[in-house]
Amino acid sequence: MMDQRKRLSMIAMCMWIYMMFAACFFFMLQHYNAHAADINDIIFKGADYHYKGALDEAIASFQEAARLDPNNEFVHNQLGLLYAKKERNDDAFREFSTVVKIDRRNIFALLWIGILYLKQSNMDRAFETFHEITVIDPNNADAYYFIGSIYNFRRNPVKAIEYLKKARDADSDEADTHYRLGRAFHNVDMINNAYLEYNKAVELKPTYTKAINEIGWIYYNQGNYDAAISEWEKTLSINPKDEDAISNLARAYNEIAFLALSNENTAHAVAYWNKTLSIMPNNKAAQYYLKQYQK
Amino acid sequence: MERRKFLQILGKGFFVSSFSGVFPTAAFGKTAFDYALEGQNFLQNGAYHKAIEVLLKAVEMDSESDWAYGLLGRSYRALHKEAEAVDAFRKAVRLNPEDVYSRMMIEMITQKPVPRLQKETEPLTPLEIKARKEEADILASLESDEELTYKVKRVVIDAGHGGFDSGAVGRNGLKEKDVTLDLARMLHQKIENEGKIKPFLTRTDDYYVPLSDRTTIANQFQADLFISIHVNASKNRSAQGSETYYCSETASNREAARVASLENSVLKYDEPIKAKEGYIDIEEILFRFEQRLNWKESGVFASTFQKRIEEKLPLKSRGVNAANFFVLRRARMPSILLEIGFISNSDDEFRLGQRTFRQRIVDSVAWGL
Repeated sequence: MMDQRKRLSMIAMCMWIYMMFAACFFFMLQHYNAHAADINDIIFKGADYHYKGALDEAIASFQEAARLDPNNEFVHNQLGLLYAKKERNDDAFREFSTVVKIDRRNIFALLWIGILYLKQSNMDRAFETFHEITVIDPNNADAYYFIGSIYNFRRNPVKAIEYLKKARDADSDEADTHYRLGRAFHNVDMINNAYLEYNKAVELKPTYTKAINEIGWIYYNQGNYDAAISEWEKTLSINPKDEDAISNLARAYNEIAFLALSNENTAHAVAYWNKTLSIMPNNKAAQYYLKQYQK
Repeated sequence: MERRKFLQILGKGFFVSSFSGVFPTAAFGKTAFDYALEGQNFLQNGAYHKAIEVLLKAVEMDSESDWAYGLLGRSYRALHKEAEAVDAFRKAVRLNPEDVYSRMMIEMITQKPVPRLQKETEPLTPLEIKARKEEADILASLESDEELTYKVKRVVIDAGHGGFDSGAVGRNGLKEKDVTLDLARMLHQKIENEGKIKPFLTRTDDYYVPLSDRTTIANQFQADLFISIHVNASKNRSAQGSETYYCSETASNREAARVASLENSVLKYDEPIKAKEGYIDIEEILFRFEQRLNWKESGVFASTFQKRIEEKLPLKSRGVNAANFFVLRRARMPSILLEIGFISNSDDEFRLGQRTFRQRIVDSVAWGL
């Protein structure tokens, strides 16, 4: 009898422990789910604010998310990006560095650290960071793009071509990559390649005036002045204040005027000097020669 | 947000089921919307492969459906096909930039390496074939290293003034424009003979080249260095010697600042779309970075040239100065302006008129290069 009572009380106790455990588990699960739902909503809200340009509200949301989940890489990356947009570069650097401490393979954070180094004109650190990304991710078009651009700036066209081609092969839809690759080719007189890349840039972004201007130089250096002028005029139709296109056109018009003058076609020369003044009223050469030859 | 709520409602199941009941999917005559809806149902039920199959049909029929692309991205993501997912999400965002979920997914996934998506290669055009051959021929002949030191392979030499603009004129009638042209031509010849660097001239004779044209020519030839040659002049006839200027954001001293103040507006990034608040323009960051690198490099070149001139020529050194010169400002490469002697000083004017002295100037500059 005693044994049976004892057994019953033991069963009751076990059941009570089990129920307590189940209740605890249920409570914890509920709490976890609520927490996960909360943070996801906060992150989504932050992203929504961010993409709509409400930067302060986005920062507030992601700061809240970071408090709830301090190891969330996406949250810190978003905060870094938002601070960078607000020109709070030290805060941005801190957030991206936090991500890299959590996971060194987070290439988004590394990329932005590299960009912040570029903003500080710290070429060597920027270069190292972008290079590190290519080791982690051999398909990273952005890192190759920045490395290729740095080599372009240092007038190392062979290396610039090598890296910008890798960027192009990893992502062929970036007009800037094609433009900078075109510049690298242009720098070593690979005119066909430069022409192709500039045109690809314009195909992807029809308002890419820098590429249009370079296509103009290719025509000009081949003696095809009409085609060159047409390109620079195209630039001015996109951006009437484009300084390069204005200078390039002024140079072309003056050159044609001088050629006309040397062929004793003064009327033609005068017409072109007038064209120069129509786009660059303070062009001293056109002013002077018009005074000399305009009747 | 609205779209997500709509998707959440769809996620409850009953809405999808009733919707499917109202529009039963027949075996033929299906629209892109039908396929997308079917894909949505498969996605909700965890049948990701089937979802992808029908969603691909949806985007094939309607390549403008951001909704279908978004669903496709989600289906791929569920199968851990990250590259395909990113590609689909990107298409969704391109079609609908306000698609917060797809945009967020791209940023989340691309935090870590994503394998490259294999794309179909198209046959080469005749120009592409020509370009490949050109690349193989030229690239093989070029030397390169990994170093980040600045390399000069092309230099544009600018002879100051010209034509109706004589520049400064000495007491004995020596004109700055003639001295600079002669020096520029001699330097051009010397560099060309050495064959290591390709030289270009902004003018080859006595004609006027506007200031804006000079750097335009440097940009035209993709130059790595721009050297503008000038001869100084002063009301103080005892002033003599050589000095080198380079373009910088800030002037090195008050005199340089005074010279620069004539043309003091900072070069603007002239893309039609200006940077707006809350928007990071990577190209502008690169532009500024390049500009600062060029200015820094210009300072290095200026110091080197001034040092060489000091060592080789019997001219008093007036040092290196930084200023924001118009003639240097628009150049997309390091650029310096050499002021070699004072034409207003009798001794300097006499020397500058001598052929042998000019040759020594040219040798010093070429040595600096």
